[in-house]
Amino acid sequence: MTSTTALFISREDLIHLLEELSGTLEVVAPVLVGDEAAFATWRGEALALDDKNPLASPVEFFLPKKEVLFRYVQYSGRYTFSEDPPKARLIFGMRPCDLLALKVIDGIFGADLSDLPYAGRRRSTIIVALNCTSPGEGCFCRSMGSGPVAEGGYDLLLTDLGRGYLVEAGSPAGVYILRAHHRHFEEADIEDIKEKERLLALAGEKMIKRGPFPNPEKIREAIDGADWEEAGRRCLACGGCSFVCPVCHCFSVLDQGVPDGERLRCRDSCILSGFSRMTSGANPRPDPGERLRHWYLDKFVYIPEKTGLFGCVGCGRCSRVCLGEADRWSFFREATE
Amino acid sequence: MEKIATICVYCGCGCGLVLHVEDGRVVGASPSPAHPVSRGRLCVKGWLAADFVHHPDRLKTPLVRRGERMARVSWDEALSLSARRLREIREESGPDSLAILTSAKGTNEENYLLAKLARAALGTNNVDHVARLCHAPSVAGLGIALGSGAMTNPIRSLLSSDAILVTGSNTTEQHPLVAATILEAQARGATLIVADPRRTQMAELADIHLAPRLGTDVAWTNGMLNLIIGRGLIDEDFINERTEGFSALKELALRYTPAAVERITGIPPGDLEKAAAAFGEAPRAGVVYAMGTTQHSSGTDNVLALANLVLATGNVGRDGTGIYPLRGHQNVQGACDMGALPIFYSGYQKVEDPAARRKMEAAWGTDLPATPGLTAVEMMEAAEEGRIRGMIISGENPMISYPDRGQVIRALRSLDFLAVADIFPTETTALADVVLPVASFAEKDGTFTSTERRIQRVRRAVTPPGEARPEVEVAAELLRRFSVTADYASPEEVMGEISSVTPSYGGVSSRRLGISGLSWPCPSPDHPGTEILHQGSFPIGRARFYVVEQQHLPEDLDYPLFLTTGRSLFHFHTGTMTRRTHLLDRERPKATVDINPADAAALGVRSGTMVVVESATGSLEIEARLTAEVPMGTVYIPFHFAEAPANQLTTRTLDPTSKIPGLKRTPVRIRRADG
Amino acid sequence: MKIDRSKMGTDTLDGFGGDRIVRAAPAKPESYIPFQAEVVDIDVESSNTYLLSLRPMNEEDEHVAINYFPGQFLMVSVFGLGECPISIASSPTRDPLQICVREAGKITQGIMAARIGDVLGIRGPFGNGFPVGSMRGENVLIAGGGSGFATLRSLINYIADDREKFKEVTVVYGARTPQDLYFTTEYGSWQAAEIEVGITVDMIDATWKGNVGLVTSLLADLDPAPGASALCGPPMMIRVVAKDLLGRGFLEEDIHISLERHMKCGVGKCEHCTMGRYHVCTDGPIFSYDVVGDLI
Repeated sequence: MTSTTALFISREDLIHLLEELSGTLEVVAPVLVGDEAAFATWRGEALALDDKNPLASPVEFFLPKKEVLFRYVQYSGRYTFSEDPPKARLIFGMRPCDLLALKVIDGIFGADLSDLPYAGRRRSTIIVALNCTSPGEGCFCRSMGSGPVAEGGYDLLLTDLGRGYLVEAGSPAGVYILRAHHRHFEEADIEDIKEKERLLALAGEKMIKRGPFPNPEKIREAIDGADWEEAGRRCLACGGCSFVCPVCHCFSVLDQGVPDGERLRCRDSCILSGFSRMTSGANPRPDPGERLRHWYLDKFVYIPEKTGLFGCVGCGRCSRVCLGEADRWSFFREATE
Repeated sequence: MEKIATICVYCGCGCGLVLHVEDGRVVGASPSPAHPVSRGRLCVKGWLAADFVHHPDRLKTPLVRRGERMARVSWDEALSLSARRLREIREESGPDSLAILTSAKGTNEENYLLAKLARAALGTNNVDHVARLCHAPSVAGLGIALGSGAMTNPIRSLLSSDAILVTGSNTTEQHPLVAATILEAQARGATLIVADPRRTQMAELADIHLAPRLGTDVAWTNGMLNLIIGRGLIDEDFINERTEGFSALKELALRYTPAAVERITGIPPGDLEKAAAAFGEAPRAGVVYAMGTTQHSSGTDNVLALANLVLATGNVGRDGTGIYPLRGHQNVQGACDMGALPIFYSGYQKVEDPAARRKMEAAWGTDLPATPGLTAVEMMEAAEEGRIRGMIISGENPMISYPDRGQVIRALRSLDFLAVADIFPTETTALADVVLPVASFAEKDGTFTSTERRIQRVRRAVTPPGEARPEVEVAAELLRRFSVTADYASPEEVMGEISSVTPSYGGVSSRRLGISGLSWPCPSPDHPGTEILHQGSFPIGRARFYVVEQQHLPEDLDYPLFLTTGRSLFHFHTGTMTRRTHLLDRERPKATVDINPADAAALGVRSGTMVVVESATGSLEIEARLTAEVPMGTVYIPFHFAEAPANQLTTRTLDPTSKIPGLKRTPVRIRRADG
Repeated sequence: MKIDRSKMGTDTLDGFGGDRIVRAAPAKPESYIPFQAEVVDIDVESSNTYLLSLRPMNEEDEHVAINYFPGQFLMVSVFGLGECPISIASSPTRDPLQICVREAGKITQGIMAARIGDVLGIRGPFGNGFPVGSMRGENVLIAGGGSGFATLRSLINYIADDREKFKEVTVVYGARTPQDLYFTTEYGSWQAAEIEVGITVDMIDATWKGNVGLVTSLLADLDPAPGASALCGPPMMIRVVAKDLLGRGFLEEDIHISLERHMKCGVGKCEHCTMGRYHVCTDGPIFSYDVVGDLI
């Protein structure tokens, strides 16, 4: 169910709305941390929405970097287990690229044997998305089909019109919020909707001008033709690309505590050599180059086969964090030249 | 979820990171995009920097030895017992029978208070820390050559360099963010020269790789100077206007011809010529070095030779130039700055200088000792001989990190009293009479000073586990038990005292430290800090050239191979933190000795074979790994692993000036464990 | 509780068979919390390998002990050390559920330190299992090397208990030394069930009177007729045996190989076991040669 009418909310009313919502939910929004925007629990501080999309994707609120899968308590040789229920949260200001990343992960963590902790958080989280009117410099969401306009997957969608935001609902939960807090909204007029379309078209053009853009076909060709040995030679094994990618979801599991303790799940990285190494010492992907190649193949071949969506949403974060000058964006750009 | 901007706890790069905190637990870390060094990037240790914080092994209560057992006691009991025992020893054997080792992992405030504890409370200058084992030769060498032992320029400055000489630094593994900056400079056109006996990743990526024999750094550095002088690539204006002693240096350099250098170092003359030309012709060139340069019995000479090279080519005082001693710990620079050294108060004010001493006595309201104290390795020797009887070790693990492990065990066991403050049980806490559980970097406020002299704020993200406390509180409690006033409401107040007695920190206050921090010297509250040193003049007026000769390296037929030690990208120092970080420990779960395949063939050793490595001081059993990364005649062991502690083998041959042990070149022999 | 086998039997299991990609679904797919199983018996198979018999602690979990296929695996936990994949060594046709554990790392050491009465955590069964349905009515060749033989034992006993549904059945197995051979007391029962059994070792001692050499030398002796085959062992052995079988007229799609990978979840999420586009945990661990021939 999608609301057919769009509403308008002023900047001041938006703050009032968030204040009201934070009475019942944990509201997460981009705020300034160390002079840059980062998603964190909102406690009334200024929203950092004009900044570029935060480096740490809000996908971490669905797939945390580290979480307790369950606690075990031993009593005379037998165990009892406990789990924490998911938190009721609202994530404000999620961009279209991160929204699509969630959809990709849905296709993996929701498929077949569904991942309960993920599914639980997915159900208990309300997403207020923000269309991207000022895409970052290394972004190429447009060529991956993930932005700058959000298409579904949100409860509410906002577009910054300057004097305030155009608001559209994308789910029953979104409609409910609009109704329950109706006094903060006013009807949008046709000019507002035209303005939204104009701004988003402009954002798209901005990205085109920056081109040429990589496209998936070209990238696949580039994967086949790339000198992975050289790429591996330059890789400084920081794992940053995989830690920062909103689609990457590899994890490791470990126990901490005897006899009582926690089974923890933490983010892992296929860039690390220990990732696929077996206890025997045998490693199916021993070279850094092979691991980088696998990372690309997964995003542009294997994940699409499984989910019908690319494993890359063009957010450009991997290029921002790459230590080794094996910069992903230049790889993508070369893929078009 | 809260996010807190702070500084990474591992190497000297001093990267800005953001800790992600959920329900009072640190669940992750990400790079701080606005930070001047990390610029939104981190190495793998940084990405995983928060992983050890909530490990169940954390020390949570003070412990006191009762026979073989460690008993839980209250803080008051642990501290009062410590103070009483230290006082008793002092009364029996004098203040110089006590010593403190502070920690390069601690904050500036903690180091300052522990140095104050040694001097004002215990009454001794016996205070030192791990810098003795890393950059004592830089403090000594650059101190007399340039007037300051610290890095001259910020890391970022390398982006403007036209040539970069990296020597004795496995940069991609030890200072990944510096390596990333250097590689970025190389991509922009700078020539990268790497001098390292091992074929590290940095050497692999270099434009020119010089592979000298271990311990021959003075020879090839003088050889480069020989060629640079010969080609007329010296900066005569700079030499005339800002230095002294060049003529003697010129005479020295004349003798280090490429052919002579090749005989000593094994570097082909063609390679040396390429390197000299690239360095000499560059309008802006920088020299980056680390432990491979300093951890030699000729460590200070090695540093002086590099200083000569930089000065002769006029590469000081400008963006893109400079000399960059890379500090290994996130706050080893700060620990030195704070006077955790036996001859200096904070800001390198000499304890022997009566004026400085009077100033500190006035500030601390007590008499202070005038004689310099013992250095770290000397303390261990004194302990074994019974001259030092009581020690406080804060956040150091000499059982793994100090040379000649057998001697360290004897030394620590000889002590009448040992108190150790740490976050985890270590091989050193196992020998302690009192163990004090303290806060990790994520659990305290304060400042760290990075390798580029950048003073930065560390912020508390979560509370310490159990009864663990920040060391600022612990040190203050001990000071009070020795009747020294220490009423600090917060680490900010400690910084207030530091800035009032330390000229180079004079303008520093916690309030002023934004995301970029402040680089010292920052003498006054309105001073913007100093990113590039020596721009107009040197603190000693003119910089000085020193004539340094290559040491004769005796051969020992019983120990035909040379062991060099180092660290892995995935571990830090004695592994206390990284070996408790799941992904890092998985990446490098065990120690190996790297052997060149040709040497291995002669020994009948294959990858995976267990071998025994023996030196004059000890032996250890370890798995062999065959790799051409090490040249013939050289073997390499990372020293992180308690199961195969490399320092079982190293010796205490000290550099005469800086007292650093020659950890990077130990004669050894190897045999199969089963043969 | 006594397991009521009347309701399952081999026919019921075969009802799942026939289709090659079928799998017995894990008992509690939605949860990462294992259920608890008691170690009821421990057999020493070799100096570094134990065969553990397990019984679920709770009645509602009993079905796990019977509802699985040969070739499937369990995620086995030692609380405090962690969880790792272990193949099932028993046949669903027989009591009890057994796993064969070889000392490799911390967790396997922890499992092997368990004593009778201790509790382990179990999740599963996971993976596809051998396509027993499609093997029916065929000749079956089973080739194992080293510790890879554990999962094949499940298949051998499964076939032995339903012997008339299969044509000629041949087992070839090689280990490093005679002491490394698993399940030595069972070879006789297999032969009694008209299964041809060939055993070989690499290194002999004074007591050994049997074959010496590679598994392929057994194939040359026994000359199995083409049909279905199941392989598990070191990669080198798999490659050599598969080539040999192809030479004997076995079809690529009938050579079923059980693969081993590092795993953390067992349900296709953690990505540790990926092999190209496949997840060994959910798409495997059994793959036919036409699918993975160029990946192994």
